[in-house]
Amino acid sequence: MNETLTDPVLIIFILGLAFSSYLMFANNEKKTSMLLISSLSFAMVGITSSAYTYIIHNKMVVQGSTAFCSSEGIVQCGSVIGDPQWNNLFGIPWGIFGILSFSLLIFLSLCLYLDRHAKWSENYLDYAWWAGIAGLPFVALLVIIELTQVENAPHICPFCTIAHISIIGYVASIYFLRNRRNTGKWSENEG
Amino acid sequence: MARRRKPLVQKGRDDDVRIIAGFALGSILTVLMLLIVIIAPPATIGPSEGELAPDFSADSYNGVNWENFQLSDTFDYEWEDGDEGEWILVQFIDTDCPYCWSEGETMSELYSQWSENVEFITVTVELSINNHDSDRAEVQAFRDKTSYGTEENDGDGCNSGRNNCANRPGTTHNWNYIEGSSGIMKDWEVTGTPFLAILKPDGYVAWNQYENQGEDIESAMQRLIGDSQ
Repeated sequence: MNETLTDPVLIIFILGLAFSSYLMFANNEKKTSMLLISSLSFAMVGITSSAYTYIIHNKMVVQGSTAFCSSEGIVQCGSVIGDPQWNNLFGIPWGIFGILSFSLLIFLSLCLYLDRHAKWSENYLDYAWWAGIAGLPFVALLVIIELTQVENAPHICPFCTIAHISIIGYVASIYFLRNRRNTGKWSENEG
Repeated sequence: MARRRKPLVQKGRDDDVRIIAGFALGSILTVLMLLIVIIAPPATIGPSEGELAPDFSADSYNGVNWENFQLSDTFDYEWEDGDEGEWILVQFIDTDCPYCWSEGETMSELYSQWSENVEFITVTVELSINNHDSDRAEVQAFRDKTSYGTEENDGDGCNSGRNNCANRPGTTHNWNYIEGSSGIMKDWEVTGTPFLAILKPDGYVAWNQYENQGEDIESAMQRLIGDSQ
């Protein structure tokens, strides 16, 4: 089995995604709160995995390789994060972009979680939705790069994939939240 | 008269939680940044002496065909000061630049002296000047000293189209010629050609032409790498 797939850090991230998904689909009377925590949880997994890819990036730049992620096989980071042509956008590593983007998502979800009846909450839910949607084209672009552009493509960088799934999960949880708001179920006691 | 009751609408909290959320986010970012700095601080990348040379991946002509080349593949990350190792000489040229044309001979001489302990790399770029258009055929002819263009000043050939590439000063350059780009030029802060830099075997810049105007390349190689063969 590929070494990367048994990496303990990767397993922790996968468990984080599983927990976030469970919160999103769990049915109980505090559904709105659960969805808000789910969105926060997805964003937290996303920001942490982005930071981890940035750590891998820095290690690879200075050492050429890193024990944090394999450089062989299809599922690996070396050929993706180590590719100088594709591992950055305008010279800024993708990990930094991820950290900044998920920061915004965390802020919006945290504000909503702390006070979902505030005057601004409706707008913030829309901002969270559009900010999440704005991330999806970047996910598509990065997946295309992994599969077609990097040296000896296709490759799949598992830690990058965690960040990609996080943003998709975030958008899904915000979608369900918007549905609840639009159907008058925003307050817990309304089902 | 009965007073009308306002409909029950849940109100938000009195305090603005956005400040609390901002502080919480700040704390998360601080922890992450600390972890990054402790585990793997970002390297200083750039063309200045002491910085890690900007990496690039591009097609390269080796005298036979064009293949992908990644600069960092030539780095020896285990190398330490005082160890033996293969240094790297990076040259940026435009096949139509007159100074690059004449530097062809200098490069041949350097190669004959240091080829055993120095990896030579030439990055070809196109300056935005009239008659400085070049293609792969011209780059190949410049490297191999094969016929391309005429000896008339008709824009056809090397050296701004003034010469047939076969007459370039120096011998055939038996090292990789990289197909450069404006992105690579920008990363390396190359404003004109020719430009030379010497990298230590681990990829850190040891000598940058712009920072050593009073020292020629041969003296620099002698000083940094030692005696030639």
